[in-house]
Amino acid sequence: MPYTRAHVLLFLGPLLLIVLLMYGMMAWTVAISMSDWVGLAPVWKFNGLQNFRTLVVGALQERFFTNLRNNVIWLVVFIVPTASLGLLLAYGLDLSGKAERLFRPLFLYPLTLSFVVTGTVWAWMYDPEAGVINNGLRMVGLGRWAQPWIADPGLATLCLIGAAIWQYTGFAMTLYLAAIRDIPRETMEAARVDGASDVQVFRYVVVPNVGHATMIVTALLILITLKVFDLVWVMTFGGPGISTEVLPFFMFVATFRQQFVGIGAAISVIILIMAVAVVVPYSWWSMRRLQV
Amino acid sequence: MKPSSRLPWLAILTVLALLWLLPFYTMLGNSLKTMREISQSQYVLPPRGLELQNYFVAFQVLRHGLVNSALVSVPATILAVLLGSLAGFFLARMRLRFARSIFFIATIATFLPYQIVLIPLTQFLATFKLVNTRPGLIIAYLILNTPMAALITATFFQTIPAEVQEAAALDGCGPVTFYWRILLPVAQLGIISTAILIFTLVWNEFLIATAMTQGPFNQMATPVLAGLRGNYAQLWHIQMAGATLTSVPPLAIFVFLGRYFVSGLMAGTLKG
Repeated sequence: MPYTRAHVLLFLGPLLLIVLLMYGMMAWTVAISMSDWVGLAPVWKFNGLQNFRTLVVGALQERFFTNLRNNVIWLVVFIVPTASLGLLLAYGLDLSGKAERLFRPLFLYPLTLSFVVTGTVWAWMYDPEAGVINNGLRMVGLGRWAQPWIADPGLATLCLIGAAIWQYTGFAMTLYLAAIRDIPRETMEAARVDGASDVQVFRYVVVPNVGHATMIVTALLILITLKVFDLVWVMTFGGPGISTEVLPFFMFVATFRQQFVGIGAAISVIILIMAVAVVVPYSWWSMRRLQV
Repeated sequence: MKPSSRLPWLAILTVLALLWLLPFYTMLGNSLKTMREISQSQYVLPPRGLELQNYFVAFQVLRHGLVNSALVSVPATILAVLLGSLAGFFLARMRLRFARSIFFIATIATFLPYQIVLIPLTQFLATFKLVNTRPGLIIAYLILNTPMAALITATFFQTIPAEVQEAAALDGCGPVTFYWRILLPVAQLGIISTAILIFTLVWNEFLIATAMTQGPFNQMATPVLAGLRGNYAQLWHIQMAGATLTSVPPLAIFVFLGRYFVSGLMAGTLKG
C-alpha cells in the first residue's frame, strides 16, 4: 500500500513525539540527579555524583541500603513463589477439564484490582488487634499462631509481599496456562500412554516446555518489584520505622515530601540502571518476534 | 495408560480458590456490617444484615474521586488507543525500514518504571499550569500509555491476513481510509482488548495520581481511598465500602468482558 511522507507523519508522528519526550525526560532525570536541587523551584547547580555519594557512602547510606535490601527481598520472595504457584495452578487447571472455567477467574480477579484496594484490604487482614487473620486464628483456637504481622519490622516486608503474591499469581497462571496449551497434545498423551503419572508429566514434559513463559513472567515480575510503591504507601508507609521502605517509595518521599529533588532523581537513576538490565533484553527479544 | 485422576487437583484448586477469595470476602462482607458489629470485633463471620449506609458514607468521600477517575481514565484511554493504533498500524503493516527499531525503543519506554520520568513529568505539566488538573492527568497518562497501545495494537494488527490489505490497495484504498474503514472494524476485538487493559491500568494507577494532585476535589479515586486509611482509621466497614466502590469498574469489566481482559493482558506482555 503506497504512502507518502504526510502519512508517516500522521500515523507515526504522535508515537515518535511521545517516545522522544519520554527519552528526553529520562535524560532530564539523569541531569537532575547531578544537581543539588533542594526545594520547590529547580536549582541547576552541577554537583557531579555528590547525590549518589550521599546515598551510597554518605548521610543516607543506612537508609539506602535498608531500601536496597528490601528490594532484593522483594525480588527473591515475591518472584519465585508467584511463578511456581502460577505454574502449579496452570497445570491443575489444564488437568481439571471443565472446572477450569469456574476456577480461572477466581485466581485472576485480584489482578484487576488497584494496589490501593489490595493494600487497604490486606493491611486490615494483617492488623495485629483487629486483623481478620489473627481474629480468624483465635476463633478456630489457633490463637498462639497470631503474629504482629505488619507491626513487626521483621515480618512486615514479607506481609506486603504476601499481598503482592495474592495479586500476581493469576498473572503467572494465565501465561503458564497459555504455554501449557501450546505444548502439542500428542507429547502429553504419549507420556501418559507410557505410564507417566501427573507428577512425572509435569516434571518431564511441562516444566521443560514452558521456559518461554518463565522468562516473560520473571522479567515482568522483576519490573513490578522495581516499582513497588502503592502497597508500601497504603499498608505501612515504609514503617515500622523504615523497615518496609523500598527504593521507589524512598524516591517519592525524598522528592515530593522532603523536597530533596536531586536525591530523588539519583534514586530514580539507580532504579533506571536496574530496570534497564531487564527491559533492554526483554525489548530486544520482543522486537525480534515482530514480523515485518 | 494410567487414568489421570482429577480429584486431587480439584481438591488443591478448591482450597487455593477459597484462600484467594478470602480477601474479597473480607472486603465485601465487612463493607456491609454495622458499627455495632465492627465495634464488637465481629470481623470474620458474615454480616447479619445489609448495612448499605456504609456505602453512602464512603460514596460521600469518594464521590469526586470516582468522577475524576472516570473523567481522566476514559479520555486518556481513548486518546492513547487512537494515537497508539495509528502507529501500531504503520509498524505492523507498512514494511517500514525502521519498524523494528521504533518497536524496540517504544518497548523500553513502555516497561520502564514511572519513577524514572516522574520528576520531569511533573515539571513539564507545571510549565503548562496543568498540575492538579484533569487535563494534566489525561496528558500524563496519554504520554505513559501511548507506546504500550502502539505495541499491543501492532501485535493484533499483525494477525490480519495480508490479502485484506492487498485487496484494499488494489481498490485504490489509501492508508487513512484503510485504517479507519477496514482495519479498525476488522481488528475491533484487539482494539477493545487494548482499551480495557489501558483503562484498568489508568483507573488503578496511584503514583502519578498522588504526585500530580492534591485536595479532595482534584484527586482521583485511588489517592482518596488511600486517604481513607488515615481518616477512617478504625472504621473498617467504611474503608471496605470505599475499596469496593473503587473496584467496581475494573471488576465489572472483568466479569462482563473477561475474555478481552485476558487477551489484552497476554498481548500486553508482547509474548508474540
